[in-house]
Amino acid sequence: MLFTTKVLAAFALTSAVAQAAIVTYNWNITYVMANPDGLFERRVIGVNGVFPPPPIEVTVNDTLVINVINQIDQPTSLHCHGLFQTGNNQMDGPSMVTQCPIPPGANFTYTIPIEQHGTYWIHGHHQGQYVDGLRAPLIIHNINETYQYDAEYTIAFADWYHDQHSVLLDQYLSIFNPSGAEPIPKSGLINQIPSATFNFVPGKTYRLRIINMSALAMFWFHIDGHEFEIIEVEGTDVEKYSTTAFHISAAQRYSVLVTARNDTSYNYVIHGDMDPMMFDSVPDDLVLNVTGTIVYNEASPLAPIETSDWPDFDDGSALVPVVAQDVTPQTVSYTLDAAFSILNDYINKATFNDITYVMPKVPTLHTVMSMGNLSSNPEVYGKFTHPYILNYNDEVEIIINNADAGNHPFHLHGHVFQVVGRGDGYYDGSTPYTYYNTTNPLRRDMIYVPSLTNAAIRFKANNPGVWFFHCHIEWHLQAGLAVTFIEAPDVMQKVLTIDPSHYEQCEALGIPAKGNAAGNEGLDMTGANVGPTDLPTGFTAKGIVALVFTIIAAILGLIVVVWYAGDDTKAIEEQVKKIKAKRALEGDAQ
Amino acid sequence: MGSDYFSVPIFFIIFRETTEAAVIVSVLLTFLRQVIPEDHAMRRRLARQVWGGTALGLAISLAIGAAFIVVWNKYANNLWATSEGIWVGCFSFVAVIMITVMGLAMLRTAQIQEKWKVKLSKAMGQETERGLGSSSRQYALFALPLVTVLREGLEAIVFIGGVTFTESAKAIPAAVIVGFLCGLLIGYILYRGGNRMNLHRFFTASTCLLLLLAAGLVAKGVAAFETYAWTKATHAQSDDSGSYDPRINVWALACCDPNANNQGFAQLMNALFGWSNVASIGTVVCYIVYWFIVMGALIYMKLKRRRIAVKEYFDKTTEEDMYSEDIKGDDLKEEANDTPSSTSVIDLSRDGVVVGDGIQVAKANH
Repeated sequence: MLFTTKVLAAFALTSAVAQAAIVTYNWNITYVMANPDGLFERRVIGVNGVFPPPPIEVTVNDTLVINVINQIDQPTSLHCHGLFQTGNNQMDGPSMVTQCPIPPGANFTYTIPIEQHGTYWIHGHHQGQYVDGLRAPLIIHNINETYQYDAEYTIAFADWYHDQHSVLLDQYLSIFNPSGAEPIPKSGLINQIPSATFNFVPGKTYRLRIINMSALAMFWFHIDGHEFEIIEVEGTDVEKYSTTAFHISAAQRYSVLVTARNDTSYNYVIHGDMDPMMFDSVPDDLVLNVTGTIVYNEASPLAPIETSDWPDFDDGSALVPVVAQDVTPQTVSYTLDAAFSILNDYINKATFNDITYVMPKVPTLHTVMSMGNLSSNPEVYGKFTHPYILNYNDEVEIIINNADAGNHPFHLHGHVFQVVGRGDGYYDGSTPYTYYNTTNPLRRDMIYVPSLTNAAIRFKANNPGVWFFHCHIEWHLQAGLAVTFIEAPDVMQKVLTIDPSHYEQCEALGIPAKGNAAGNEGLDMTGANVGPTDLPTGFTAKGIVALVFTIIAAILGLIVVVWYAGDDTKAIEEQVKKIKAKRALEGDAQ
Repeated sequence: MGSDYFSVPIFFIIFRETTEAAVIVSVLLTFLRQVIPEDHAMRRRLARQVWGGTALGLAISLAIGAAFIVVWNKYANNLWATSEGIWVGCFSFVAVIMITVMGLAMLRTAQIQEKWKVKLSKAMGQETERGLGSSSRQYALFALPLVTVLREGLEAIVFIGGVTFTESAKAIPAAVIVGFLCGLLIGYILYRGGNRMNLHRFFTASTCLLLLLAAGLVAKGVAAFETYAWTKATHAQSDDSGSYDPRINVWALACCDPNANNQGFAQLMNALFGWSNVASIGTVVCYIVYWFIVMGALIYMKLKRRRIAVKEYFDKTTEEDMYSEDIKGDDLKEEANDTPSSTSVIDLSRDGVVVGDGIQVAKANH
């Protein structure tokens, strides 16, 4: 009896240890040649010589270790999208926010305690490298999942370009693109491979993890012949919500439960229809409707494709978290107005409250850790990182006004937030905000705000760190649609430990590792990276000079006209007199 | 240019052509009055010839003109978008040349009358009352105004064709009517004996305005070309995007856009001076260069005329006259105003008195 108990105890201990494993991935970031849409072979960024990079799978309480060796010719960094990184801010990944990027040829280890579960993804966060393919699903299993299912598949949608992202970025951020038209993808992909098939066995229930890894596109997801229930949103398990279709914008994730049909006579098409509203124009050769196949039987024919209207889908009102959490009253509220305009560098840029984001010379996290008491002074971070200092445990509310003609999906690092309200038009604060859900509102890390509407989100500042908040349309992030939340800088200094290798990495790139946003001591901001601001609305000096010269030219011209039209008699008299006098003289001289 | 309902350049074209035609008619009628002072019936009959020829010439011109403009615009509309920057630019420059030429020609209206008197004398020879009674002479009185009015009319049509591209169709009728009426008015004033000095000031002012318009049109033509090139470079859908090439821009005001809806003053400035809230190195420089070209041409022409006048004076006078102190003012006036010498002009002053049409006629010196 005792022996059995001991054995049982030993097993229990082993499984507990097994549940908290260290899961290691070795990622050599490399260039690979690939042709995932079957239309065009091009250079992409892959992992270990393979494209697409394989998904990362861990279980909650694991420690995820990613040993990165940068084997491309550009600096790089990785961000595990949606992970809280509690007390681990220096592993969050956004370049020049929490780290200097990893120099070419160097290595860097991300060590991340996994404290949550659900559907996430990992992607490059230096410039637009994830658009070139540096992205993969990141699946975190729960020890005991809330819902029961027999098997699961990951369906990762993405838009796909044929040009390198740097080429597209140069075209996008150019004086020749005054309307700010985003590059239009050439195709859409499922799991970044040419054709995606998913085997279904009749009667079984499947969990489909839907991820959108796009730079720009929003997909409408539906499956011919099948209804499904949404059960998870970005790590938050929700009450089953039955629907036939929903939209998923860039960087969002959902899990659905689908029950397989009882017969194998047909195979069915899985749809990811790219919403044309996201594109400036739709070229004739762009196939918007991306498809995969649910295979019941290899030999069965495809069921005819269904067409139907897309149903209304409002995530905040439709989806209810299983684990309830009520809204806490806010202690601080910020309004962010998102807009696009041509600034005085003559490029169409994005702004939050008229400030466009520009990277600092020193990663913002390093500034926090090296500036002592000054870390609570927003000045040290520079105007163009657009810093917001949050106090520890603030109940923060952010109201986002989308003043732009386009729809934007916004992402907050380091947190999930509560979606507490949406409204039409611009919220100017003159009337109280109409909250539409304060009882157990939906929690997620992405908020899709349609054009000319507003949204309100809430979160508690209980995770000391520098957290980026930005539009997840990659082009817009590059255009500056971002702000930086510096959450409890005083606590950060006590709680975070940054490995010296992070500072050495900066120096290897010639970047100052410590100091304020200009790389200097104290409040000396000389040499800070300065971004473009508004165009002048009136005359500049050169304009006034030009105007004066045109007026002078016209006046002179009119004077000459009047002179020309005048009577010539006197002048001719004078000339005749002169000539006569001259001839008289000559006559005399002879 | 101009408002949506009144085309300024077309007004001036019609005005000028009508003025010239009115001058011709007034000269002919004055001529009849001088040559046939007593026989009113005959004079009236011959006057009707003049009016008849004039009216027919006008009618034909109008018919051809209307047809031409309709076909031209329709054809042009089908062939290319009239708002295409390149076409607007090209036709703007054509209009600039035409308006400039016309503006300078306007300053010589006084000379037009003299010119016509010479022509008439050549056509009619030394006429007597009996001579005018013969039918061939009658039809000459009909044919001459007909042909000249027709020619003036066709000239106007060509000018309008060149200018009409930059105008909207509904701006044409009002401008034509008002220009026509103004031309008639001037012709009538000339016939009745207007004060020469006031008319001179009027024509000078008209020319100043026309050249300002032309200069503005230069700027607008250049702007049209630049907008077209920029639209192509940015792959924009249309020319109306409001964006401009920052590399060549000189000013870009948020206000005062003549293309905006409620900017009446800006639109007026645009019509008169070519004002725009966006200016480039090209528009500013070409505007200034236009004025320098005009100034250069004017100075050159004036100095050349003086030289010729002086030369003709010396060619005409005798050796003895050359040494006399007494410079004949009248001779100089002839030369200054480029009128033909006295021997070939119709002697309308039978008793040596200046006739009352307000225009000085060179007296016979011998």
